[in-house]
Amino acid sequence: MLRDITVSFAPHISKRLSTQRVMLDVLIGLVPLVAAAGFYFRIRALLLIGVCVLWCVGIEWVCNLIRRRPNSLWDLSAVVTGVILGLSLPPALPFWTAAVGSVIAIGVGKMAFGGLGANVFNPAMVGRAFLTASFGILMTTWTVPASIDSAMPKLSPADAVDTRTQATPLAWSKTAIKNQTEAKTYSRRLLLSTITGEVAGSLGETSAIAALLGGAYLLWRRTIGFHIPAAVLLAAFVFGGIAYLIDPDAYVSPFYHLTSGALLFGAFFIATDPVTAPLTRRGMWLFGLGIGTITLLIRIVGTYPEGFMFAVLVMNGLTPLIDRLCRRVPVGGLPRVG
Amino acid sequence: MATDSHGRTTFSRGVHPPESKHLTEDRPIEPGPGVAELSILLSQHIGAPCQAAVKKGDLVQAGQKIGECQAFVCAPVHAPVAGKVKELALRPHPVLGRCQAIAIEPQEPASPTLPSFSLPADFDPTRHTPQEICEAVRDAGLVGMGGAGFPTSVKIQPDAKPPKHTLLVNGCECEPYITCDYRLMLEWTDQVLAGIRLAQRACGASKVFIGVEDNKPKAIDAVGAAIKRAGSGSDIRVVSLQTKYPQGGERQLINAVLGQTVPTGGIPPMIGVVVINVATAAAIADAVLYHRPLTHRVVTVTGEAIAKAGNYYVPIGTPVEALIEFCGGVTEKSAKVVMGGPMMGLAIADLNTPITKTSGAVTVLTRRQIGQAKFERRQTACIRCGRCLEVCPENLSPTRIAHAVRSNLLDVAQSYFISACIECGCCSYVCPANIELTGYIKTGKIFLARQRKKMPA
Repeated sequence: MLRDITVSFAPHISKRLSTQRVMLDVLIGLVPLVAAAGFYFRIRALLLIGVCVLWCVGIEWVCNLIRRRPNSLWDLSAVVTGVILGLSLPPALPFWTAAVGSVIAIGVGKMAFGGLGANVFNPAMVGRAFLTASFGILMTTWTVPASIDSAMPKLSPADAVDTRTQATPLAWSKTAIKNQTEAKTYSRRLLLSTITGEVAGSLGETSAIAALLGGAYLLWRRTIGFHIPAAVLLAAFVFGGIAYLIDPDAYVSPFYHLTSGALLFGAFFIATDPVTAPLTRRGMWLFGLGIGTITLLIRIVGTYPEGFMFAVLVMNGLTPLIDRLCRRVPVGGLPRVG
Repeated sequence: MATDSHGRTTFSRGVHPPESKHLTEDRPIEPGPGVAELSILLSQHIGAPCQAAVKKGDLVQAGQKIGECQAFVCAPVHAPVAGKVKELALRPHPVLGRCQAIAIEPQEPASPTLPSFSLPADFDPTRHTPQEICEAVRDAGLVGMGGAGFPTSVKIQPDAKPPKHTLLVNGCECEPYITCDYRLMLEWTDQVLAGIRLAQRACGASKVFIGVEDNKPKAIDAVGAAIKRAGSGSDIRVVSLQTKYPQGGERQLINAVLGQTVPTGGIPPMIGVVVINVATAAAIADAVLYHRPLTHRVVTVTGEAIAKAGNYYVPIGTPVEALIEFCGGVTEKSAKVVMGGPMMGLAIADLNTPITKTSGAVTVLTRRQIGQAKFERRQTACIRCGRCLEVCPENLSPTRIAHAVRSNLLDVAQSYFISACIECGCCSYVCPANIELTGYIKTGKIFLARQRKKMPA
């Protein structure tokens, strides 16, 4: 009657959940950001993201072939990396540059470490950091969103000539404050634009609403916990607030910090990459606070207008240490030695 | 008491697997099959194994002690029926693989008759001294019938240090599918209650709580009504607990009902609590009031593949195969036979494995059901999503322990408290990468035990 019965460890049933489903949820969460990018930067944005996805998937396939590993494309993690990398790039970036970034992201950032789950640094940020270091000008040429003429007053004659590109809100306010030109008035006007996304910037970072929408989906699906985003935003708000309170004329308001740049996009989609973030809740808080703090330090003190990418990479490197520091204590307390 | 956000009493974390109790929850306890051979395993409990007290060819009476040992932590075994000792031989054991057993050929292979239990009109637990109760329980070979199989007489030992303040009765039955304890609470309510009061008398606890998950409202009502009838409502309370796995783990139960935590590496008696299962309570009443040894138990035979799933009263030693055949065999292609429930039960390779004192269920899972389970789906890399940490009822880091074991780093596994794991299976249940976390942890524990034996401290 009973033949071929299987023997294995308990449990014998399991929840219907797979890595693929987790990644698919992240992709669904990214939809509002891709849509916003498409709306503000038109077809070019979608093509750029498409190039990144294709190259990421392709390189993963090639690496698996070289390493003689089973095909891992269906776990969708390469697609996620591709979309996030694409969203973190400036709209006018040449396609070949995006392809180089994708090769570095997957080839060096992920597969060289051993593939999914083994990488230390967020692959998309590795790719982007490489591009920033190698193609500085291309990576800081920001197109004006297609829906508007110009959101910001020109700061220099050079700006006035070029109507196609302009500074990002963060870069603009940094220069504006230095030059003492109408910084306060315009940063207030700009705040609204950074919420809707009608500003220059990387594809995915302009619209705060889209990032919040996608983030809310991930939280609702429990794909991410609230700890990391909350910690990132809290630290950024507190540090931005301290700077603003010390000298409101020299620094923009903390709300402006929250809505502009990659902070919201990154807090929900980049910092929460489980592979490169700590495991424990306490660790997640430390990790998020670190990212928020370093981002703001770079923005306020550093020479770059935006520092989210560097903050994530630094904290990724510290993740093993944080995990070690924040071990969980069993319910019954630490066992007595002996 | 610990409560969740809806005010329901519970522990922290845990999972909600499908309950699947509808298959058998409305089936009254019925007599099981008569079989041609019963195999009484000599090790059905935690502690020293028994020595056979009979020889091949001996005639035995129903209830006769056929195996015992002098160790303190041990429980004797008895012949369930009158018959002849066919042989002393190795028989399949759900945990140990193989184990010495006494094979008995019953005089007549008839179905067992359901026992009649009528509570004596003048029942009063104080008429029995704690020592008397404890001795009767030991003689009857009682062990924890919920699964662990710790000898009950040791648990309810009178005058133990530290003194016991609370007796906690486990009626949670949090494992999916299983309904044997539920039926006991419904049908043998008075017997269960009498056993509880005797256990309370023996261990000297002043407070008694009966923990039942809130998916069994009928059982909560039945036990509550019986307490009122017995007129001892002042010191026994039924606590309705949130339906969540593993609510019936004793450490979780204590935490939910009393709000106390058992120290890591410790056991409940250390904080003055005794936990017994409802089936054990029923057996205590049988042992003390009628001097009936533990020779039969109620077993839930269930699973979508079983034609006549139900709750059956069977002699200990009945082979699993006979039980499955008695229940109409299997209707679908079945793929796994589990002694116990699907979360913690043991998959058996040999269908001649006999029912033991601790087997509450035989669950036959179909290919479709185990298709969802880990081993059929490909294991992928850990993405450190942390879901195993989120569900671990002991607040451990399952993925760290499992990966340490996989890399053969037992000291690292220990630094993540591998021995504090209760092996409930929640981590494996939720893992999206299909990693057999519980399996790795169990393996690590076995390695550690071997290491300790080789290198005494």
